[in-house]
Formats: sequence, structure tokens, C-alpha cells
Amino acid sequence: MELIPRATFEQIRSQRVEEIAAVRRQGAKVVGYFCIYAPVEMVQASGAIPVRLMRGGHAAEEAGERYLRADACSFCNACMGNFELAPAYKQVDAVVSVNTCDMMRRLPESIERHFGIPVFQIYMPRTSEPLPHRIAEFRRQLGRLAEEQCRLTGSVVGDARLKSEIAAFDRLRGMLRQASDTRRMNGPLLSGGTMLDLAATAWLLGPVKAISLIEEVLRMVAARPRPEGRRPRLILGGSMLTEDDRWLLDLIEEKADIVTDILCTGTRWFAEDVPADGAPLDRLARFYFSRPCMHRRPNTDMYKYVQELARDFRVQGLVYKTLLYCDPWNFEARRLQEALGVPMLHLDTDYSIENREQVRTRVEAFLETL
Amino acid sequence: MSPTPEWADPRPARVGFDEWLELFERVPDDLIERYHYYGDSEAWSKYLFPPQTFAIYGARHLKRLKFDNSLAALRMWGFVQNETERLFRARQTGRRVIATMGDLGAVPVIVNSFPGCVAFYPDCIWWTPFVMESRVLFDAAAELGIGDATCFSRAALGAFAKHSYFPDPDLVIASTGASCDDYSGVEQLAEQFVGEMMWVEMPMRCGMGPMGPMRHMLVREYERVVERMVNLTGHQVTDDELRQGVRAANRVRKLVRRLRELASRHGALAALEMMVVEFGNLHHYSDITEWPNVLDHLLATAEARVAAGTPVVSGDALRVVWVTPPADPLLLTYVEDAGARVVGTEYVINQALEVIDESKPGLEAIAESFMAASLIGTSRQRAESVIRQARERQAEGVIISGILGGSHCAMETRLISDIVKQELDLPVLEFDVAPPSNEIGRQLQTRIDAFLEVLRSRR
Repeated sequence: MELIPRATFEQIRSQRVEEIAAVRRQGAKVVGYFCIYAPVEMVQASGAIPVRLMRGGHAAEEAGERYLRADACSFCNACMGNFELAPAYKQVDAVVSVNTCDMMRRLPESIERHFGIPVFQIYMPRTSEPLPHRIAEFRRQLGRLAEEQCRLTGSVVGDARLKSEIAAFDRLRGMLRQASDTRRMNGPLLSGGTMLDLAATAWLLGPVKAISLIEEVLRMVAARPRPEGRRPRLILGGSMLTEDDRWLLDLIEEKADIVTDILCTGTRWFAEDVPADGAPLDRLARFYFSRPCMHRRPNTDMYKYVQELARDFRVQGLVYKTLLYCDPWNFEARRLQEALGVPMLHLDTDYSIENREQVRTRVEAFLETL
Repeated sequence: MSPTPEWADPRPARVGFDEWLELFERVPDDLIERYHYYGDSEAWSKYLFPPQTFAIYGARHLKRLKFDNSLAALRMWGFVQNETERLFRARQTGRRVIATMGDLGAVPVIVNSFPGCVAFYPDCIWWTPFVMESRVLFDAAAELGIGDATCFSRAALGAFAKHSYFPDPDLVIASTGASCDDYSGVEQLAEQFVGEMMWVEMPMRCGMGPMGPMRHMLVREYERVVERMVNLTGHQVTDDELRQGVRAANRVRKLVRRLRELASRHGALAALEMMVVEFGNLHHYSDITEWPNVLDHLLATAEARVAAGTPVVSGDALRVVWVTPPADPLLLTYVEDAGARVVGTEYVINQALEVIDESKPGLEAIAESFMAASLIGTSRQRAESVIRQARERQAEGVIISGILGGSHCAMETRLISDIVKQELDLPVLEFDVAPPSNEIGRQLQTRIDAFLEVLRSRR
């Protein structure tokens, strides 16, 4: 039985969106962001409410195809659709976007054109070697964002406030790590699905409320006996998985345990803390620059990250879920399998619901081989 | 009419493969002997081969195209198609062969400033000649993890894997950053076939503030390129040599600028040849010495045609601006056959067309020139370039060709189309091109025909 029902998380998120709508009516600004490279600490330090725009869904994807071509990645299409459909997206006053991939780099133009929402686009180097001039340019971009945030909210992003928000988000990341680490043991109590929900809820709630929630979850984990018997231990990877993909995790976890992941909506969001030394803006620049992702060049650090996780969490298989036309993740499927040396199931789909039974068959067949 | 005394070009026309071959058979031997690559006069460095040579070696797509019937164009095709041989010769004759991937125009200027170094683009295996009528390279890329739902640039990965389309480079300089995902992915996977890959960052020209700091960052990246080249060659390049490199690139860019003018205003050259000419600015088809001579020859031919009032494409043809990637040679041929001519292009390589400021220090000038690249900017900026050209040339329509699965095509096409329609009130035709080995589908032919019919009806 699941530790916390999915409906509970949905209810918490839904209530939070209502709260956000209420404070927005009183003048607060809401800033949406997409990925793990957006400096959420800075958004919060400016007095705005950061909301991660991380929804997928079939209906949203279809709605998005009115604006983008069908061969734009499903997530981008769903983003456009969700500006029409999702309550959280409708609260957004501005968007912070980072050029993580070609499609995300170009999405802001469509958002501005079709929904009139201003987008602050941050350029982050794709090359991963942390050369001083690259980090300096990224830091400059963060400085520009601080100015834009100030224009939006009227509040200067001061060092003290930024430092305090960094500390708050570090605490949140630490708590999420603690929750995720409970899955190192055999018979993990926290499922991959619950972990995905927990992360999705945390970035909506913000550090203070999210930490209370995670503490409660950890108390529940501690109080419950571990199940007997062993199931295959899996690592999850690929393009971003959202709360709308929860069905896939549920399907997998009928017969296996997802013990870790390399998702931007999972462990990569909370894997590390901001470095402690230096001025707040410098710390943020180094922190975000160093985050691994498949799109970075070279992506050696991403491989190091996944290999360490696979070893530490003793994984026996990889479920690799990519979105159609998501090049950065799709291209690496074969290479990643070779690097990990464990069986891999590669699912390359959009957000269609028609193919779910086919996916079920493939998942079950894969699990039988483990 | 021809600028070559012992040869008289026939009346300008676009001709098929067989006529093209007949034309070659009339070329005197001493002309064949005259043209050599790498500034050599050795027998092996000739490149004016008969068209059938290229077809035999795999470029069977040529049989379905139409070509300019001038000697200059014949020479140009011989030179371009000869690139693989030329690169292997470069290695045999002790030159260093440097693959420059992804940046479309700037890094080769630096590499070519080093004596005895040849910069080439592995992309050109699919990009400019675009004539391989086989799936060999695509299949090789698929085996490495990049399948059909991807831009045709994946052929470059296949070429690295095959080790037979160009010599294994002495160094691979892979530019990435604000590039397309497909090509960045190709670069990443190609890394397994090269000893060392040097990654160079290309900044994104976004709306967040002044460009100066980004240019500064780019100069730092180019300094790294210089340092790496110094380590490789042992040659300490001077600023004078870099300026000479810039001047050499500018010679090509100025020639191409003039050719574009003559082609778009007077129909002096057809779209197919002009596409090859424009793409030559990226890396000069691996020979910065001979390519300008080829262009000189083309320019003399084009100017002679303008002076004689004998364009190769009718002045009355429908005027269109073409936005890509990619401009498929078959489609260019088809559209011109159907009564249109290309008066403007936005091939995402505008940075290679701009003349570099020779008064500034080399790397700064190259970086400044690159910062204008379509590649690193927004779709709106590309649309504005299209609009500007369309206005200047009184274009009657815009064609946007893309690739199914090409990362930026998916995001840009509709935006560019919407902006152009809104600001110009011109018909816009959007379509995806078929893989290079395919015929133009009937449906696409009908769409092109209908589009041109609409343009005609608006006259």
C-alpha cells in the first residue's frame, strides 16, 4: 500500500495553487520556470512566488499543437497547452527560461507571442568545462535576471535576502535527499512515484511548507516495517517526467522498485547544495553551472552522476523514458546503456494515452528479464 | 562572353546531367590541366573532372538536377565534389586536417591562419553537396543511436564512423552552445571516434542586455582555439597572420556578396549554384587558396551575362525568398523549373556572409562578426532578415523548408511564417524536405505548383 495516496499530493498542490491565486490578487507576482537551471532562490529573493511549470499531459499536448508543430517535443507542446489549461500556469506573470536545449531556447518566443507573458531568458553555456569566462558570463546573466526581477516586483534582490533563500532551498534539497536516500535499503518504503510527487509538491509549496511535508513523510517511513521479499531495483532516466507521467511509475512499481533516478524532476533537482564560499551571486553561478545534464558538452559529468547512483543504489535495470523529438536524451540511449552495463528498457513516446497497454506489455516483458 | 579565351560558354541555360557531360567533353585538355587545388601544379591536384565521375562515386542525385552550363559552374562543381579526395591529399602532403564542427563560419578563419592547416566541415558530407543517393551514412548513424526522427546532419556521425569520407582529423573543434540539438548530439557521439575533441562555446544572443560581454566571452573561446592550434602545430600565430586569415576569408565573402547581388537582381546564376557558393563561405571547401579563384571565375561569368543581358534565370520568374535548413538541390531545381527564382536566402549562415572588420584585432573582429549569426539568435531576428530581403528584392512569396525532427525547425517554422505573413502580407509556403535519397513527393510538387500559381495570380 502506498505511503501517501497520490490524491493527497494532488489535493495539496491544488490548495497551494488557490493560495497563490489569492496572494496574487493582492499584488504578489508569480514567476514560472521550467528546469533545474533556473535560479529559484533569486526569484524567491525578489519577493515573487516561483512556480515550476512542469506539467505534461495528453490534452495539453494536443492543445499546444495549435501553436507549435507536432514534431516539437511533447513537453514544449504541453507547455503551450497548459497555459490554456492548467490552473497554476494561469497564475504566471512572467517566466524565467534557460536555454537548456534548442526547443526550450525557442519556446519563450512562442509564449510571449501567443500568451503575452514576458519571458526572461537566461543564457547558460552548454559547454560544461567550468572555465572562468564562461562562469563569469553566466553570473552576468544572473545579475541581469536580478534586475528584471526587481523591475517585476519592485524589490531589490539584496545579498542578505539571497543568502537566506539559498540557505532555505539548501535545507529543502537536503530534506529531499534524505527522503530519496531511504530507498538505498532493500524493500524501500518510499516508491519512485511518491518521490516524484513529493518533489513536484515541494517546488510548488516552497521551502518552509515543503520541509514540514517531507518531515512528515520521513516519520511515516520510519514508523512502517519494510516489506519482505526482493523486487528488481531500477533506476529511472530520460527526458523530464512530470506528475502527469505518474501512471508509468505506478505501472513499473507493480512489480519492481524504482530506487533512484537521474531526472531533472527527481534527484538532479536536489542532488547538491549551493557551494558555501563566496558572494551569493557567485555561489549561485557556480552551483547552476556545474549541474549535470545530457545536453551539456561534453556530458561526462552526467555519466559520472548516473554511474555513481547506479552503483550506490545497486540498480539492476534502467527504465529510460524519452519524449519524442527530445534529441539530447534520445541520442544518448545506446551509449548510456553501454556505460551502465545493466538491462535497459527505452520507451520513446509522446503523452498519448492510446499506447499505454503497449507500454504495459513492454514494461512487464522487461521486468521478467531481470 | 566567357572570361576564358580558349573557351566560349554556350548561351546561358540550366542543363541536365547528360548535356552537362557533353559540355565537359568539349572542354579542351589544357583547361582541364589548368585548374589545381592547394595552389599546386602536380598532376594529382587537378579537379575539373567529368560529372559522371561524381555520379560513379555515389553522387547519383546529380542525375536529377539541372546545372548552369558555364565552364565556371562546371569548375565549381568539380572543385566541390572533389573535397574528399582533396582532404586525403592534404594529409598525404603533410598538411594538418582540422575538423571544425557546428559554428558555421568563424573557427575556420582562425584555423586557416595557421600555415599548413586545412579546416573542413564534416557537416558538408550531407549539407552542401547533399547528393549522396544512399542511406549508408544514415544507417551508420542509426547504429550509433541517431535514427530517422532527426535532422539529416546525422550523416556526419556516420561519416566519422566510416573513416572513409575524410581523413581522421588531427583535431576536432566542436562548437556548441546556441546551436541546434541535433548537431550538438552528433558532435557528442562523434567524440568516440576522435582522439580529442575541443569544445567551444557559442553564446546565445538573447534579449538580456548588451552583447559586449558575450563577445568578450567568445574572444576568450577563440583564444583557446588559437592556443590549441599552437600546441598542435608548434607555430606561434601572430596577429598579422590572423589578420591575413581574416582578409582571405573576406576576399571570399566579398566575392560571394557580389555574386548574390548579381544572382538575385539579374538572375545571373541559378539558385542551386548559389547555394553551393554561399555554403562555400563556411570553410571554402577545404581550400582557401583555390576556392576564391573558382569564385572569381563564376563572377566573371555572371558579370559577362549581366553585361550581355543574358541571364540564366528569366527576369520574369516569380521572386521568392528561401528560408532553411535545408535547401534541397532537387527542390531548388524543381522550383526554378516551375518558373520561380530565388532572390533572397536565409540559410542560417548569414554570419559567414558578412565581411569581417579588418581594422580590428583578428579574434575580436571574428567574434564581432559571429555575434550577428542567425544561428545564435531568435526566430524573430531570422524573420526580420527574411522581411528585409523580401522588401529589397520585391519578393512575391516566401518558402520555408524544414526537416521533420530538426530541433529548431519544429519551433521556428510557424513563428517565422506568422511574422512574415503579418508584416509583409506575402504568401508563405512551409514544408519539410524528404531525405536526400528520395524523390520529391507528388503531394509536395502539387503544393509548390499551387503556391506558385497563387503568386502568379497576385501579379
